[in-house]
Amino acid sequence: MTDRRRINGPVGATIPLVFEDVEDYEQVATKAARSRAPNAVRKMYLKTGVTPSASGSAYLEIETSGKGGVSGLKLSCTVYGPRSLPRSSPFSPHIILSTHVKYAPFATKQRRGYLRDPAERDLGSHLEAALRGAIIADRWPKSGVDIIVSIIEGDQDRETSKTQGDEAWDIMNALSGCITVASAALADAGIDCVDTVAGGVAALVRDTADSSPSIVVDPIPSEHEKILASCCVAYLPTRNEVTNLWYKGDLPASDMELYTKLVEKGIQASTNANRVLLECLGETVN
Amino acid sequence: MASTQHALLSPAELAYLHAALSLTPPIRPDGRSPAQFRPLVAETGILPGTNGSARICFADGTEAIVGVKAEVERTRGGYEGEIVEGGGAEEVVTDVNDEEKKGESDWVEMTVEIPGLRDDDATTAFLGAMISEALLADGGFSRRLWINRRFHWKLYLDILLISPPLSYPLPLLSLTTHLALLATRLPRLKSEGDEDPFFDDDWAAARYLYPRNKKDGKTTARPPVTLLVMAVGNNIIFDPAKEELAVADVALAVSIGEDATTAATATGDDASLMMDVDSTTAAAAITSARNLRLLSIRTIDPPSRLTPSGVPNATNTAYGAATTQKQPEARTAEAEAVEGVWRAPRGGAKPLVMAALVHKVLEKGGIADEVLDALHAVDLG
Amino acid sequence: MPVTILAPKAMRQDYGQADKQNISDDSDDADSSNGGAELDYAELAKADAEGHTHKRPRIAGGDFEIVTPGEVITDDPQWMRGHGTYVAAGTTSIISSVAGTITRTNKLLSVRPLRARYTPEVGDLVVGRIVEVQAKRWRVDVGATQLASLPLSAINLPGGILRKRTETDELQIRTFFAEGDLLVAEVQQLFQDGGAVLHTRSLKYGKLRNGMFVAVSGMGGGGGVVRSRRQVWTLEAASGGGPIDVVLGVNGYVWISKHVETPEGLVEKTSGITNLDESVSATMYSSQNDRIGPETMREIARIRGVVTALVDNGLRVDEDMVMRGYHEAVEMAMVSSVGADDIYLGGERGEQLAAVLTAV
Repeated sequence: MTDRRRINGPVGATIPLVFEDVEDYEQVATKAARSRAPNAVRKMYLKTGVTPSASGSAYLEIETSGKGGVSGLKLSCTVYGPRSLPRSSPFSPHIILSTHVKYAPFATKQRRGYLRDPAERDLGSHLEAALRGAIIADRWPKSGVDIIVSIIEGDQDRETSKTQGDEAWDIMNALSGCITVASAALADAGIDCVDTVAGGVAALVRDTADSSPSIVVDPIPSEHEKILASCCVAYLPTRNEVTNLWYKGDLPASDMELYTKLVEKGIQASTNANRVLLECLGETVN
Repeated sequence: MASTQHALLSPAELAYLHAALSLTPPIRPDGRSPAQFRPLVAETGILPGTNGSARICFADGTEAIVGVKAEVERTRGGYEGEIVEGGGAEEVVTDVNDEEKKGESDWVEMTVEIPGLRDDDATTAFLGAMISEALLADGGFSRRLWINRRFHWKLYLDILLISPPLSYPLPLLSLTTHLALLATRLPRLKSEGDEDPFFDDDWAAARYLYPRNKKDGKTTARPPVTLLVMAVGNNIIFDPAKEELAVADVALAVSIGEDATTAATATGDDASLMMDVDSTTAAAAITSARNLRLLSIRTIDPPSRLTPSGVPNATNTAYGAATTQKQPEARTAEAEAVEGVWRAPRGGAKPLVMAALVHKVLEKGGIADEVLDALHAVDLG
Repeated sequence: MPVTILAPKAMRQDYGQADKQNISDDSDDADSSNGGAELDYAELAKADAEGHTHKRPRIAGGDFEIVTPGEVITDDPQWMRGHGTYVAAGTTSIISSVAGTITRTNKLLSVRPLRARYTPEVGDLVVGRIVEVQAKRWRVDVGATQLASLPLSAINLPGGILRKRTETDELQIRTFFAEGDLLVAEVQQLFQDGGAVLHTRSLKYGKLRNGMFVAVSGMGGGGGVVRSRRQVWTLEAASGGGPIDVVLGVNGYVWISKHVETPEGLVEKTSGITNLDESVSATMYSSQNDRIGPETMREIARIRGVVTALVDNGLRVDEDMVMRGYHEAVEMAMVSSVGADDIYLGGERGEQLAAVLTAV
């Protein structure tokens, strides 16, 4: 039964042919597999005090997967404050945090606008929750601090096709980087913290369609066939406390073990990032 | 974030609430038991102009309405150009296997409207992201919207809170969304294969988005539900009211779903195993063998960190016959924890506590099970 | 069962005596008429034809007459207009400006709105929450249209009731009351715009601690706190709860707390007027709770449950109702499956409680 009331175009076949380069095609086919051990995180570079005009600042770069033309994660964070709140705002016995996370328009494969989209706002609230637990807020009554994180380059492989890899998973890595870099910038600005907080990501991945799933830390989504679940943890190592936990995926609820292990690995990744953070802060002081 | 709408409470109230909720068993301000939810009134199918709708309201007058609208949309051509390879209409493949029915996350659009909050407020963005994240967690949901290789349903979920929230609205919004999706129906497809879709005009023939069992009219798969759970001291408390959340040590939003396909096989296995056992116990086992999936967890920034701390009598300049004026700085000075004085918590939560919260939700016969049972009982009209 | 999900109730239809609808088939009826009021068009037309405005003889009628905004109450010039009414220019007829019931005081006609925010009156005992601290005064939320103000000069300063206010006090204003603090006070004076000035210059007033707060709608509509003889009393709680104070603010804010020995009590023991001064200021601005036993906390929560159940079911909240409700709640808990510790009074149990109270 077809629609006789309208003149329909031919069914199907309206999309022009797209030819792919042979070279590209091969690269996609032999997509980069994870070369690190499941427990190894990528190398990262962290430096504080990069923006002299801000009260505190930090820059974080995470190593690429090794291939040319692939950008790693590049983050820059500036902290302004503590400064007094505007006269119109009500009294606050604590410091007021405001966090802004923004992808640069050119940071991802798909260009982003200048206005923050819901995903970026959401990242901002996660970052706020992670930092709020770390700072000693009642040391600075009636004041506010602005924390601005710009994602200069997202962690995306431009040679993988659009259907491969999912941005929803990339965002976890971005958040973990944001937490680490913001923590460094806060310390640089001299705002009291109970401990240094750092982010870490762990994921349950399946490398080929029929292999059994395994847990890896610091995953690159394009290196895996499918990501089943992923979690990002913000962790205070000396207090053994988690300030922010974000998990998403699809795990059977009967298997609590798997979930607990995932979080443990996330904490491990966070501890690694924290070591870099401490070293970097040590360097700045010296 | 939860913090932007934090309740203004005095340090004495906070100290009292914290003490009452830390008792074993905890004494909640409204007398509920730790795992008890506020009674709610629910109904579905209230808006005939939508594909599916639901309404839930609490006794305090907080009320949420969800309307689901579906539109047919052309699927963007893939990079690989599947259709081109497929040839013409003659070669239309009707038996597309499930793997190929891949959905995309932008097939669902969700908006949350909370009166008194700006559209771009962080709370609204956070709530929207939380609910849609659970929905899209495994791609199983968007697969339901697949019509054929060229077209799909685009689902608009509009969540409306009728009055300004008196408590953190996440559970209310999530439960309403759950019911609305259960009641959602899409017109029956009459065209075949990759033709332009053509639908049956008869609304009575429309199929449910979540197909139902012919026998008892219940669905096997169910949309996700997000539960709010918090910990105070050693107690785990569900569905906290605003003032309870204000003294939380940690608060989590946990989303759970129920899977259809695996549930069917699981119950099948169970049934075969139980053949020789008493039939009633076997039946009970089948109903309890619910295949729960853990879809998403988020920490909710507890507003307790932003509450004003109390001043112990020892350092209070306005306390006692203090005609001799002490230093005004005494207020900001660090003080030892004194019983009966509220102190805003610092730091995060122990990983073990968080794991206990999640476990409490998920365990067999736990809260998630009971909530889904209760939602089962709602008449879906 | 942790979750109770109720089916929505069908809209209640209160059929008037004059209504000639078929009541027997009310389930279908409720859907078709949608609860709207039916107008008698024939009568309206007749009234128009006779050249009258549609007006019923209000004054001669019964006690509970409900008027809506714009409705003419009377055009008899002997009446004076009161709250909730206005007089149209060039006429003598008094017209209602709110929806509510008519009250007559001698020759004064006023309309009490069905639902309204609290309107302060001098002498009211109110419970309020500090929302803003200014240089020489606090701004207090008392549930009225305007924030009430509490000047620094209207509180008892520590170190003697009649001490002179100094600049140091102004600088330390936040040590007495800070944002979020709850206090009980009395309305001392009213401004033209409806704003109230409070004072706490009495031993009974001051900062609240050792208990729990609950806000219910005050004034009007049948439910909520009503002005009565006693707004503050102490009750002896059941099951070893000890004495508990209940403060029903006229503004609908309620405070339930553990009873602490009042300064008056101390006076009898120590019998020294100087000690009185000191003990007053000692507890007046403290935000540290005393040790409170779990039994007391449970009974406080039970009383809170009674108050919310009363309000949810549209009953008035005063000493008599709270006391009766409390005793009833204790007895309900005795027969409850959970035992005497069961203090939950929400949902159906609240309705049950209200039904018992109204039946008497």
